[in-house]
Amino acid sequence: MVLEYISQALVNLADPFVLLLMVGGIFLGILMGSIPGMTATMTIAVLLSFTFTMEPSQGMILLLGIYGGAVYAGSIPAILIRTPGTPSAAATIFDGHPLSQKGEAGRAIRVSTIASFVGGVISVFALMFFSPVIADAALRFRSPEFFALAFFGLTIIASVSGDSLTKGMVSGLLGMLVATVGIDPVTGFHRFTFDIPELLTGVEFIAVMIGLFGIAEGLRKYSQGINSGNDRVDQEISGVFPSLSDLRSIAPVSVGSGVLGSFIGAIPGAGGDIAAFITYNEATRWLKDSIPSFGEGNVRGVAAAESGNNASTGGALIPTLTLGIPGDSVSAILIGALLVHDVNPGPGLYQEEPVLLYTIFVGFLLIYVFILIFGLLGANYWARLINIPKSHIWPVILVLCVIGAIALRGNVFDAWIMLGAGVLGYAMRLRGYPLAPMVLGLILAPIAEENLRRSLVLSGGSPSIFLTSPIALVIILLGLGAIALPAVRSIRA
Amino acid sequence: MVIQKVGAVLDRIGLESVRSSPLSVLFILFSVVVIFFASQFPSGDGVGPSFFPIAVSVGIIFFAAIDVLTGSDTELEMSEFDFGPAAVVAAFLVGYVLLMPALGFLVSTMLFMPVVLYYSDIRSKLLVVALSIGFPVALFYIFGRIFLVRLPEGVIPVSRLLPQLPLVVTF
Repeated sequence: MVLEYISQALVNLADPFVLLLMVGGIFLGILMGSIPGMTATMTIAVLLSFTFTMEPSQGMILLLGIYGGAVYAGSIPAILIRTPGTPSAAATIFDGHPLSQKGEAGRAIRVSTIASFVGGVISVFALMFFSPVIADAALRFRSPEFFALAFFGLTIIASVSGDSLTKGMVSGLLGMLVATVGIDPVTGFHRFTFDIPELLTGVEFIAVMIGLFGIAEGLRKYSQGINSGNDRVDQEISGVFPSLSDLRSIAPVSVGSGVLGSFIGAIPGAGGDIAAFITYNEATRWLKDSIPSFGEGNVRGVAAAESGNNASTGGALIPTLTLGIPGDSVSAILIGALLVHDVNPGPGLYQEEPVLLYTIFVGFLLIYVFILIFGLLGANYWARLINIPKSHIWPVILVLCVIGAIALRGNVFDAWIMLGAGVLGYAMRLRGYPLAPMVLGLILAPIAEENLRRSLVLSGGSPSIFLTSPIALVIILLGLGAIALPAVRSIRA
Repeated sequence: MVIQKVGAVLDRIGLESVRSSPLSVLFILFSVVVIFFASQFPSGDGVGPSFFPIAVSVGIIFFAAIDVLTGSDTELEMSEFDFGPAAVVAAFLVGYVLLMPALGFLVSTMLFMPVVLYYSDIRSKLLVVALSIGFPVALFYIFGRIFLVRLPEGVIPVSRLLPQLPLVVTF
């Protein structure tokens, strides 16, 4: 059966248009990932509109190409100018930049490419292996278990809140509040629609996400000075393949970091940045006698961080596709992309859309093969992308944000929602509110509300229904633990 | 004893706290308004349509109040920021979206692009013209002709004057 799905996936992927989307996505991802400040989340949110009329598998291939490309390319400015292109590449600076200072930037980028490939491929295999098992177990879930899952997802807010737990909670709850606009899922009552027909189906959360990650970031950049921080790179990157001794040196650490990074990525809320820091830290603990020392230009340090952050990409898709719970903010947007096509991520996806799932799996594997090829062949060119001034990029992104919001349903109302979210997101960022919790709130609130109310109807209004289901109870306890840990840490700090 | 404690809390809440957390105060006020509207929703059997909005709003008030009381424990980015450029760009965006229904996507983008490019310190006339014309036209073909996404055409549908693509793309 699985082989049949894989063969159908290969047929889908052999379509020249799909291959074009894949390659185009990787190039766009590399372009945006190479420019500091342009994150994978923002790029995917802004370019999501291109996928609206595509088949779901075509849209996902384009977005995953951007995702993989951006996470990989974030290492290039981290190595060359000590500024991570994306947050996931922050740990790559530790050893990548010292190598660049020694005139070995090309070596660092080649090692980073190989490690990204290894980590990415391991994570896709983890995704293929673990997803069916989790989805199969989750098929037995009813309303109480789904509520528990959504509750657990919402508790992730605590772990993605950064410095301030209270601000993170406010941000997440605001997202949940926005999600209550529209027709009540149980009674059909119109909530907060104010007789505006566009609000009957609720606030388009993709428009909100484009505003939060595109417009808000753009306004921030203009506030900082659109041309500030334009570090130029003039280093020549020669050669294509890493040396055999480098390959031997990084092989074990790349594989180990790939396995660990996949596991960390699968934990909802733990994105590529956390994965990279943990895998880098583990590498320094296990290989402390390495020469040169970590932090002084050790290729194993670059490999550990890059394998770890790329491995988190496939890992993050495990809860996204099997449970409908986003692993990080990028996978939250991917959920939005699937919902636009009436595809509901969750345990039922394996039964409803098996070919789509295997097209995503095999496609993601192929994306990492392309990243390896483009990364090794084009290192010299990608390094030059850093020199593109932000003043050329941002006007284009602003237009894409507006068009993306309008293209959602073909009306200008969503552009206003997007602009409102952008201004709110800008103000919140300035006041230290994290925006990722708001996205989690937006996605998970409808699941939480609907299943909470259905559960209470089933139990005649008694909340004991959540205690009598062992699975729901365990998940709720895990959720409470996820809140308690950062809260205790925050109080201690 | 109790009076002293309440007094201490009120001192802490004082104007200084409100000034240091204006957004949190705004969110508290917003949540109060939401609770007012939601409390007028019909109550269903058990948990009705008002339960979730009210519960979430109470949560916002709780956490935002803690934020106001404890003061900001996060590094604020505000000091290194100049709000002027952000306000100007936001105004450009508002104008762009306002013009869109009347002028259509193509013309309004052709007007928005040179303004923002100039404001972004791009002085090369060739680049401004190329981006202001080339980018909207390219987007029009990608969205309107290849991906068949509906974009506003405006009162006078100028975009229909653009030539058709020489090949039909199907997928």
